Amino acid sequence: MVSNTKEVKDLDFDVTRSADEERKLAFKDEVCIGCGICEKVCPVEAIELGDVGAIVRTEADEAKICVDENKCVLCGMCSVGCPVDALEFTIDGESIKNMDVYPQYLSSAEIDDETCIYCKACEAACPREAITIARELPEREKLVTGEIEIDKDTCIYCGVCEEMCPADAITMDSKIPTSADPSVASDINVDTDKCVYCLICKKSCPVDAIMAACRTCSYGEYDLDPADAEIKGSSFIDDDLCVRCGWCEEICPVDAAKVKKPFKGEIIVDQDKCSTCGACVDICPCDVYSFPQPDESGQIVDKVFKDETYCIYCGACENVCPVDAIEVKRTDVDYTPTKSKSWKNKMESLKT
Amino acid sequence: MELKVEQDNCLGCGVCVVACPINVSISPEVAGGHGSKTEEVIMMVENGVIKLFSPNKCTKCGTCQLFCPTDAIWLE
Repeated sequence: MVSNTKEVKDLDFDVTRSADEERKLAFKDEVCIGCGICEKVCPVEAIELGDVGAIVRTEADEAKICVDENKCVLCGMCSVGCPVDALEFTIDGESIKNMDVYPQYLSSAEIDDETCIYCKACEAACPREAITIARELPEREKLVTGEIEIDKDTCIYCGVCEEMCPADAITMDSKIPTSADPSVASDINVDTDKCVYCLICKKSCPVDAIMAACRTCSYGEYDLDPADAEIKGSSFIDDDLCVRCGWCEEICPVDAAKVKKPFKGEIIVDQDKCSTCGACVDICPCDVYSFPQPDESGQIVDKVFKDETYCIYCGACENVCPVDAIEVKRTDVDYTPTKSKSWKNKMESLKT
Repeated sequence: MELKVEQDNCLGCGVCVVACPINVSISPEVAGGHGSKTEEVIMMVENGVIKLFSPNKCTKCGTCQLFCPTDAIWLE
């Protein structure tokens, strides 16, 4: 028995058909970068790319692509062509990403936890907010050594040390003096977990009531264990959001991040045609484009700046540019081999 | 998506006219803040309010909507 079921849900949609095997195409609008490769590879012209520029820039409640379920033959080419896995195609519940007969892009991004020093530069730079770095900092008291004591008989409880202490280690219990107890404070204490033995309190005390010494330089190698200074952590890349742009690899100071991109190519920007509308800056999933600032007034700079180090050659910028000032050339597509000639031709057709 | 205007909201500031990248390519003087010399452009200020002349030329980049201070022009 052959039965067809179709279902279309808000922005994300599913197209399902059941025959001998159940084939299902699911779309994640949040992951979609609006590159339009799916539209180009679809053999039956079932996919239409929306007005991506306006949708992204005005945060319109509209899906970036539209699939005509009556045309879709559920072949899965769009899913294989999608460079960011926004289209997932499954046969009997299993993703074709796991099937060797279908070609796959050769692309990856990983952070080596052995090398990573958890500086979080990649987390800050990632244009897709796909990276999370969790780190556990050392305890401050284990990195310093010294002695401190307040002579409470000499102390006049002026509060100068409490106000000066950069580590907030000194607390004075202030009170209002009464005739029965004419003192301004009931107690003063140093929290040695917080104290870094900087000796500012000692130097600023007007009555020399503080005895303190820092041992870090002279006895640090005996008092302190270097293992206590180690920063522990772990890194996580959200594979759904990652577009393999290479920002993490470029910004990492210790070469812990490695990115393999699926495409090679070139971007050509016609600075004369550009009218600085900023559509490319807003649409680019990799933050390749920015507006350059002149160093001094009167200096003429390029209208729009690009750094191809971060480019994945998806072509989204070329699609949205209203004045055709951008040309994206794909010279190389890296994918796993397939026996099917038509699939191979389709993958090769991505080269321009 | 379609380009729409609401003349009741428009203050006639003309920011959309000079921001529109298509307008600039049709009538370059608008990039310098001047009014367009031709009615071939997508939109112009006429009698103090915005008016669409050639909305079919719009490529839906959303620039006018981003710059309009009064939500008088948008894509829907």
